[in-house]
Amino acid sequence: MKHGEKNILFGLYDDEEDLKKAVVQANQDHLDIMDVLTPFPVHGLDPLLGLAESRLHIAGFVFGLTGTLTAFLGMTWIFTRDWPNIFGGKPYWPILSFVPISFELTVLFASIGMVVTFYIVNGQGPGIKNPVIHPRITDDKFCIAFNTDHLGDAQVSKLRNFFQQTGASLVETKTI
Amino acid sequence: MMLVGIFSLVATYIGDDHFHTRFWSNVLHNSVFFTGVALMALFLLAAKITAWSGWHTIFKRVWEAYSLFLVVGLVLIMIIALGIWGGWHHLYHWADIKSVESDVILTGKSSFLNKNWYTFGSLLFVGLWVFFAIRIRQLSVDEDINGDSNFTHARKMRVLGAAALPVIGFTSAALIWQWVMSVDAHWYSTLFAWYASASMMVTMIALTIITLIMLKVRGYFPLVNIEHLHDLGKYMFAFSIFWTYLWFSQYMLIWYANIPEETIYFNTRLHQYPVLFYLNIGLNFVLPFLVLLRNDTKRKYGTLLFISCVLVFSHWLDFFLMLKPGIIHTAHELAAAAGEAGHHTAGATPGFTLPGFLEIGTFIGFLGLFFFVVFNRLEKASLVPSRDPYLMESVSHHT
Amino acid sequence: MGAAPTSPIREPLVQGHKTYHQITEDLCSPTERAPGKAWTLAFIVALMAATWGIVSIIITIWVGIGTWRLNRTIGWGWDITNFVWWIGIGHAGTLISAILLLFRQKWRTGVNRAAEAMTIFAVICAALFPAIHVGRIWVVFFFFPYPNTRGPVWPNFNSPLLWDVFAISTYFTVSLLFWYTGLVPDFATVRDRAKGFRKKMYTFLSFGWTGSAKHWQRHESLSLVLAGLATPLVLSVHTIVSFDFATSVIPGWHTTIFPPYFVAGAIFSGFAMVQTLMVITRKVLNLQNYITIGHIESMNKVILVTGTIVGVAYLTELFIAWYSGYVYEQFAFFNRALGPYWWSYFGMMTCNVLSPQLFWSKKIRRNVTMTFFMSIFVNIGMWFERFVIIATTLARDYLPSSWSFYVPSIVEIGIYVGTIGIFFVFYLVFVRVAPVVAIAEIKHILKSSGDQYVITNGQTTLHQIEQGGTALQVAGHGDSHGNAHH
Repeated sequence: MKHGEKNILFGLYDDEEDLKKAVVQANQDHLDIMDVLTPFPVHGLDPLLGLAESRLHIAGFVFGLTGTLTAFLGMTWIFTRDWPNIFGGKPYWPILSFVPISFELTVLFASIGMVVTFYIVNGQGPGIKNPVIHPRITDDKFCIAFNTDHLGDAQVSKLRNFFQQTGASLVETKTI
Repeated sequence: MMLVGIFSLVATYIGDDHFHTRFWSNVLHNSVFFTGVALMALFLLAAKITAWSGWHTIFKRVWEAYSLFLVVGLVLIMIIALGIWGGWHHLYHWADIKSVESDVILTGKSSFLNKNWYTFGSLLFVGLWVFFAIRIRQLSVDEDINGDSNFTHARKMRVLGAAALPVIGFTSAALIWQWVMSVDAHWYSTLFAWYASASMMVTMIALTIITLIMLKVRGYFPLVNIEHLHDLGKYMFAFSIFWTYLWFSQYMLIWYANIPEETIYFNTRLHQYPVLFYLNIGLNFVLPFLVLLRNDTKRKYGTLLFISCVLVFSHWLDFFLMLKPGIIHTAHELAAAAGEAGHHTAGATPGFTLPGFLEIGTFIGFLGLFFFVVFNRLEKASLVPSRDPYLMESVSHHT
Repeated sequence: MGAAPTSPIREPLVQGHKTYHQITEDLCSPTERAPGKAWTLAFIVALMAATWGIVSIIITIWVGIGTWRLNRTIGWGWDITNFVWWIGIGHAGTLISAILLLFRQKWRTGVNRAAEAMTIFAVICAALFPAIHVGRIWVVFFFFPYPNTRGPVWPNFNSPLLWDVFAISTYFTVSLLFWYTGLVPDFATVRDRAKGFRKKMYTFLSFGWTGSAKHWQRHESLSLVLAGLATPLVLSVHTIVSFDFATSVIPGWHTTIFPPYFVAGAIFSGFAMVQTLMVITRKVLNLQNYITIGHIESMNKVILVTGTIVGVAYLTELFIAWYSGYVYEQFAFFNRALGPYWWSYFGMMTCNVLSPQLFWSKKIRRNVTMTFFMSIFVNIGMWFERFVIIATTLARDYLPSSWSFYVPSIVEIGIYVGTIGIFFVFYLVFVRVAPVVAIAEIKHILKSSGDQYVITNGQTTLHQIEQGGTALQVAGHGDSHGNAHH
C-alpha cells in the first residue's frame, strides 16, 4: 500500500430509495460513512448525511462585489483622475455609462470565482485523477463507502452485515 | 378604509381649484393603478395556465378574484371617459379642442388622442379583459363541481389563457398610452407601456403576498406554506429587477441621446420632483434588491410583508410621478389661457409636488374598495380548487 | 420523501420505459460509435463552408475592409447584421438552461446541453465580426482597458461599443463555465465506460469527478447561482447590443423599446436555431425518447410567444413613429416598408410575425417536418430584421444627397457562409465527443417524468385528486367566510 492510500469497503445499491434507507440505517447503527457516491444528485440525501448547506453562494457574493467595485472604481479613477475627457457632452463622471460594465464585471468575477472555488474545494481540476471506486457509480449504482484502515475484523464483518441487511447488490473491498 | 377614501375624495373636491384637477387626477391615478393590478393578475394567471404551471394552484383563487376587479375598473375608467365628454376635468391636454387646433403635434395625434377612441377603446379592450377574467373564473369554479378525468376544464382554460395573452399584450399597450402616457401629450417613448406594466406587475405580486399572509393569519389557506411565499418572493425580486432594467433602459437611452423633446420628461421629474424621483429608485430597486437578494429573507413572513407593503406604496408613487407632472402642466397652461396666470405659479403645489394626506387617503380608499371586491369574490367560491389537476403538485411544492 | 407528485395532465418527458442504465447506454453510445455516413457528409460540407469563410477573412485582413461594399453612407452592412444575428442565436442556450431552470420547466433537461453548446459556438461566430470589421485586427487588443504606454490612453467607457466588448466576453466566459460544469459529471460517465486513449482523454476532461454526495450538493448550488447570474446576463447582452443602436440619434434606431425587443427577438431566433439542430440531432442519434414531440411542442410554444412579442414591438415602433409627430421618424418607417429594401421588411414581417402564428395549431406544433421548416423561416426572418434595422435605416439618412444603396461583395457573403460552416464544424465535433443530452439531469427527473411512472399515476389520478381535494377542503375551512371589514 502506497503512502496516502486507504482501504475501503463499499456496497452498491440499485435504487436511490434503497440508498436512502441504508443511510438512515447506518445513522441508527452509528456507522461512520466515509462517502456516498451517486450518478446524479439525490434529493433528500444531504440532511440524512448531515451535510451543512453549501456556502458557495456566499463566496459568489463576495467575488461579485469585488467585480462591481473593480469596474466602478476603476472607471471612476480613469475618467476623473488619470484621463479626464469629455465625450459627446457627457460629464466626466457619467454614472449611467458605468452601469453596463459594472454589471458585466460583477457577473464575470462572481462566476469565475465560484467555479474556481468549486473545483479547489472539491479537489478537482484539469488533469486531476481521483480514484474510481466502481465504474458503475457514474452510471446507475448508488454507493456507500467505509474506510476500514483502523477497523478490526469484527467491525468489518459488522459493516458487511449492514450491507447485506440493507440490500446492497455488490459488496467489495478496495484500496484507493 | 373606503370611508377614509370617500372622505378624502370629498375633501379634495371641495378644496380644489375650479377645474378640480387634484380630485380628478387622484381618481385617474388610483383607477389606472388598481385596474392595472387586476389586469396583471389576469395576465399572470393566463401565462401560468398556458405554461402548464402547477405550483400556484393552491392560491390561484386569489388571482382570479383580483382579475374580477376589472369589472369595477371598467366602471372607474368610464367615469373618467365621461368626464372628458362632459368637460368635468382637464386631465388631458389633447382633450382641449382649442389647444389641439393651435398645436401641430396635437393635431397630428388627434386621430388617436380623442375622446371617441379613449371611450370606445377602453370600453372594448377592458371589456375583452373582463370577458376573459369572467370566463376563466367560471371554468375554474365549475371544475370544482363538474371536473372530469379528461380534464376538460383545464383544456378549455388553456385555450382561453393562450388567447388572452396576445390580446392583453396588444391592448394593454394601447390603453396605457392613452390613459397614462398621453398626459404628457407631446412626449412619447416606445418602452413606456412595458415599463408601466412592470410596475403594475410588482404591485400585483406584492398585494398577493399581503393578501395571502393576511388570510393565513386569520386561519385560511393552511396549506399555503413558506415554499409558496418564497416563490412569490422570488417573483417580487425578479420583477423588481425587471422594472429597474426597464427604468434604466428608458432613462439611460433618453439621457444618452439628449434630444430635448425627449429629455424634457425626465428633466421635469428630476428637477421639480427630486424627492419622488430618487425615492422611486430607492424604494423600488435598492430596497427590494438588498433585502430580497438573500434566500432567508424571502422565507420570513415579517420581512416579506414589510417589503410588499413598501413596494405597493412605492409603485403607487411611481404612477404618481408618471401622471401628476403632466397633469399639472396642462392645468397651468389651460389656466394661463383662461387668464388666471397669477393663480398658478411655479413651486410646490399641494397634491402634485408630493402626495398629501388627501392623496394617501384616496389611495387607502381605493385599496379598501379593491380588497372589498376581492374578498367578496373570494367568498363566493371555495378557496381551494379541489379538482384542479395540478393541485397535488402545488400542495407538495418544495424548492 | 419520494419524488414530488407530478400532475397527471403532464406528458412524460422520458419515453420508452428507460432504466438508469439504459439512459447511460443511449446517451453515451453516440460518442462511442464510428461516425455514420450522414455525419461524415455533413462534416465535409461544413468544413468546406468554413474554409471558404476563413479564406474570405484572410482576404479581408490582407487587402482591407475595401473588399466589402460598404460605403460612406452605409457603414454597417452584413458584418454587423451577422454579428447581431449570431449573438441572438446564442441566447437560447443560456435561456433554456438558466431561465427555465429558475422557472422549474422540467422539459429543459432534454435540450439544454445541446443548446448551451450552440450558444458557445454562436458567440464565437458572432465575436469574429466585430474583431474583423475594425480593419486592423492586429491591434484589436486596444479594445481592452489596461495600463499602457500609449499615453496612457484608455477606451471610452461612454461608448456602447465598448460595453459590448465587456458583455460579449463575459457572456462567452460564463456560458462556457456553466456548460462545462454541467458536462463534467457526464464526461465522468463516459470515462468509466471508455478504454485506451479515450479513457485518458475523458479522464482529463472529467476533472476527477467521483459523484460524492458533497460534490453533488456543491454542484447543484453552483448551477443554481450560475443560473441566477446568467439570467440577467443573457438579458444584458442583447440589451447592450441594442444600445449600440438606440443610444444614437438615428431615426429608427433611437427608440426606448429596443432593449426588451432585442432580447425577445434573440430568444425567438435562438429557439428557432435550437429547433433546427434538435430536429436533426434527435433523428440522427436516435434520441426520440429523450427529445420527445412534447419537447418540440414546448419550444414551438416559446417561438410563438416570443414571435408575438416581437410582433407587438414592431407594431409599437410603427405606431409610435406615427404618434411621435416627428417627420424623420415617420420617414424611417415609411422607408423600411416601402423604400428600396421593402423586400427585407416584408420578409421579416412574414417570417417572424405571420408564419409563427401557424403554431396556434396543435397539429402543426407537433409536426416535426413543419417545425423544421418553420425554424428555418424564423432564422431567415430574424436575419432580415437585423438587415432592416441596419442597412435599410442607414441607406436613407437625413440628407437625401448622401442616400445610397448597398449589396454585399462575394467576400462578405463568404464570411457569412463561413461562420455557418464554422458553427456546424464545432457542433458536429461536439456531438461526437460529448453526450448531447445531459445524462445526470435526465436520470434525476426520470422518476417524476419517465413514462412508466407517469402512466401508473394516470390510472388513479382523478380519484386521488378528489380525495386530496376533499381532505384539503376540510383542513382548510373550504367555505371561506371572507373578510370585508376594511
